[in-house]
Amino acid sequence: MTEVTAYILVAVGFSVVLLWLMRPRHNPPERERLPLDQSFENFIPRHYRFFPQVRQALSAGDHEYLCESAPPHVVKRVMRERREVARRYLAGLREDFSKLERLGRVVAALSPVISREQETERLLLSLKFRVLYSLVFLRISAGPVPIDQIDLLTGLVGRLAVRMEQAIAQINALSEQRLPTGLNA
Amino acid sequence: MNHTELLFQCLSIASTAALCGFVLIRRTHKILPYFSSYAVVLLLSGIATGYVYCHFGFRSTTSYDVYWTSSLLNVIVRSFAIAELCRYGLSAYRGIWALICGILTFLALVFLAHAAWDAWGQPNRLAIYGLTLQRDLDLASVTILAVLLLLRRYYGIELDSLQRAIAVGIFFFCTVDLVNNSILRNLYAGYLFFWFSTSYKSFWPALRPQIDSLNDVYGMISIFSSMIAIGIWCFALRKPLPEPSKAPVLLPVEVYQELSPMVNLRLRAFNDRLVEMLRP
Repeated sequence: MTEVTAYILVAVGFSVVLLWLMRPRHNPPERERLPLDQSFENFIPRHYRFFPQVRQALSAGDHEYLCESAPPHVVKRVMRERREVARRYLAGLREDFSKLERLGRVVAALSPVISREQETERLLLSLKFRVLYSLVFLRISAGPVPIDQIDLLTGLVGRLAVRMEQAIAQINALSEQRLPTGLNA
Repeated sequence: MNHTELLFQCLSIASTAALCGFVLIRRTHKILPYFSSYAVVLLLSGIATGYVYCHFGFRSTTSYDVYWTSSLLNVIVRSFAIAELCRYGLSAYRGIWALICGILTFLALVFLAHAAWDAWGQPNRLAIYGLTLQRDLDLASVTILAVLLLLRRYYGIELDSLQRAIAVGIFFFCTVDLVNNSILRNLYAGYLFFWFSTSYKSFWPALRPQIDSLNDVYGMISIFSSMIAIGIWCFALRKPLPEPSKAPVLLPVEVYQELSPMVNLRLRAFNDRLVEMLRP
């Protein structure tokens, strides 16, 4: 019966995949549209711009001052709140990055020729990113907030965002020249 | 097959006739000709099987041959309907279509080769051969549909509601059929194999009740799953078909050539940073 069991497991597995694919989406009106109808400006990262405020909230100077002058229970509560701020900011960075990654997919969908290697690489990198992000998220939840490393991540997303804005401007310019209708909505 | 099963067979034919009616009214054949042909083939094979059962009896060789031949014919036409679903709306996205078509063709060839290899090794009996082939083609259909839906979702090019309902119906039918065929094939090729060997003809009268009840259960499950799938398709076709999606206006090739490597480079850098954050 091993063979039959294997086929039953495969059938159940595929049914779960189908149910997952059929689940309602969080923001259907925007996502159900074809790539063509999506405004490229929706893909520009936004969260990374709030890093100066986050840095101020998480600064080491504040932490040292608190440790010296505040009672332990207050320090503990503040630490918990700082971790929460870091987690939320990191989640925002993930959202920024997902937007950019989605832009890559939309451009691929609208391109007449695509590279199999590029697509495979992006898929693998996205999967790796999800795993690593979860691990970093867990680490921040458990230990001190690595503000310098978050700064580096922010810098990366920020540079990418600037480059993307330039690329989108180029796309819009090309669209105006070559396409009769609005990709530059 | 018994008389209860024949009654359900008649109900199945009636529901398939309703499906064909919807197909005709909604002019589905204009956008999905292979699916429409599948509906017609289902109806014709149902009528032919029912007619043969009535005239030659459930246990005749003619009924046996007609049943398995029509089953294999249905599987073949269904494969064309699945291929049509794969192509629908995607061919306009030339780059993605080339990629997805390559992946799906590779999968189809692998599964077809597996089905041929698997069926080749079976004893020369139509039932075991047919069940093996059907099981493997069901597996191929389910896998191809799942991969198609996954890739479409990944690139944000969803199927229209009608095509999605057709995919769900085929997926459901193939999944149930996959399990049903696996169990029956395993029993036929296993301890009921005496039934197919003339050397054990003396055992046949004792095996007859088991074989009959097994075939009844198999037939009922098959009929019910097909009726549910037909119900899903009829439900999707109850409303007039929506306007077909506009063909997309594609971007110049240079946009992808510039953007894609850049996105990948940054993704890699981002992952490297995350790895650094994880170091003690």
